[in-house]
Amino acid sequence: MTKVERSVPYLFLLPAMILLLFWRYIPIAMGLRESLYSNALSLTGAKTFVGLDNFRYLFDDPVFWSSVRVTAIFGIIVNPLQVALALALGVLVNQSLRGIGIFRTILLLPVAISINVAALAWGLALDTNYGLVNGLLEAVGVARQDFLRDPDQALPTMIGIVSWIGVPFWTLFILAGLQGIPHEVLEAARVDGANRLQTFLHVTLPLLRRVLLFVLVADTIANFTLFVPPYLLTRGGPGNSTNLMMYDAWKRGFVYGDLGSSAAMVLILLLVMAVVVIIQFLALRPQH
Amino acid sequence: MSTNQSRHQLQTRETTVITADNTDTRPVALSTTRHQPGATRPGERMLATLLYVLLIVMALIVLAPLEWIMASSFTTRETVWANVLPFSWRALLPEEFTLAGYRGIFAEGFGRVILNTMFVGLTTTVLSVIVGSTAGFAFARFDFPGKTVLWVLILLSLMVPYEATVIPAYTLVNNLGWTNSWQALIVPAVANGTVIFLFRQFFAEIPQDLIDAARLDGAAWSRVLVGIVLPLTKPVVVTSAIIVFLAQWNSFFWPMLVAPAEEYRVVQVAVSILGVQQELRYWDLLFASATIAAVVPLALVLPLQKYYVSSITGSGLKG
Repeated sequence: MTKVERSVPYLFLLPAMILLLFWRYIPIAMGLRESLYSNALSLTGAKTFVGLDNFRYLFDDPVFWSSVRVTAIFGIIVNPLQVALALALGVLVNQSLRGIGIFRTILLLPVAISINVAALAWGLALDTNYGLVNGLLEAVGVARQDFLRDPDQALPTMIGIVSWIGVPFWTLFILAGLQGIPHEVLEAARVDGANRLQTFLHVTLPLLRRVLLFVLVADTIANFTLFVPPYLLTRGGPGNSTNLMMYDAWKRGFVYGDLGSSAAMVLILLLVMAVVVIIQFLALRPQH
Repeated sequence: MSTNQSRHQLQTRETTVITADNTDTRPVALSTTRHQPGATRPGERMLATLLYVLLIVMALIVLAPLEWIMASSFTTRETVWANVLPFSWRALLPEEFTLAGYRGIFAEGFGRVILNTMFVGLTTTVLSVIVGSTAGFAFARFDFPGKTVLWVLILLSLMVPYEATVIPAYTLVNNLGWTNSWQALIVPAVANGTVIFLFRQFFAEIPQDLIDAARLDGAAWSRVLVGIVLPLTKPVVVTSAIIVFLAQWNSFFWPMLVAPAEEYRVVQVAVSILGVQQELRYWDLLFASATIAAVVPLALVLPLQKYYVSSITGSGLKG
């Protein structure tokens, strides 16, 4: 092999690696570094090395812990919920019913909608005083609800809004997984006398394991770093009830100008996320 | 039944149900065995009914907010809430049909905003497919020192969501003096881990003979990639293009930070500016801009939907 020949793969990789270096790896390193510096007490914005002070400051801050709590509750509910609903929806639109193609198209529409259009639309639809949902509730005799303005309802409402996009998006992957299962396998189970439920539990589900693991992990990552719904709809409120960690980190950096503790918070978020993802992976990886 | 036959049936089973057997609504997803017509069991029929009820309920949940935004975008600012609370079905139709909302946003420069977003989206898409396909090709068809390390770096970029690096990346844009510029909107989105991953998976499955034959004929590697390999991976090209264009069209957080100037305003930022200024009561403008922000990606994704699913199926994520 000539020298030129040996350099071919590197030339092919060069543009991608340079761009990733600048826009992914360097920012990650900058975030790590930033978390060890502080500009909080400086009028000029000059940075001083403070070691782990930003982390200590966060650990002493009740708002930080309330944000951790909100993010944990949000994650524990939203991830299993979205995966389960996506599995159900995937199985549903994979049925060979007449007209299923139309339903499949309709149910996957939210995939193309941006999260801020969805958040704005649902925010208006759920408004206490003029929202469509309250109009429908009153029409069937149920009292108006405050939804996003009620400290107890805001987080569950937000889970519903993000699932309106999230569930169809992950359904796409599960549908692809279902369509990748060889027909002969399902046929064989049927010949052996398995009913529909048995076939699903003992044949389909094990074969979907890799897809489900991927969806769970990717969904967890996406939901850990959710920012737009609290930003557009609630500003973290009412009473910090929707103050997700990514939003809180943004607020610390861009509203309060405290870049050090903002970076420290993102780092904590990433570490917790990595631990959760590793646990999910170890618990659910396919056994070969 | 031979494998070929049943695979054929797998692909066409939907059409078979519709054309060959109009009276039969049994779900046949789990079976290719045809029973005699008319042998539908009551249980099966009930199941089918239940599935349709579920499908219709889910479809309503998806369609209702979209339909409501569109209907509201064609009504006047003053009447837009007229039938919502207390609710009447007229809320789903424009109370007084008007194009005032659309005229209003275009008078305020929404046409420029759409062009900006198209320019950013299309430029990023083209660059992303070029950069992603060449990188995917290198990973799929070459062995070279450092390959594993570089592949792990690509996977790392997939594992760390971009939101988590937004603040330092914004600092970087500032330091480069790129605030309020096209390159701030385009360049950071060009190298896309998902696109590289998709291309690698597909390139790995192309038969080596095909590449060897072209190489023996004296084709350069770039010629092999553009002339032979890329045309075979049309679904991946289409899917990658959709992923990148959609991400740019729907991008909000990043453009809001790095390009706040009106000159560089993109669709989602424009919609959100109206969205967070609800006290101004420009409802017609808000609904019209939200409708455009939603309709453009829908028009793009719907006709290309089949490529999307087939790319995911082929990416090695299946079963």
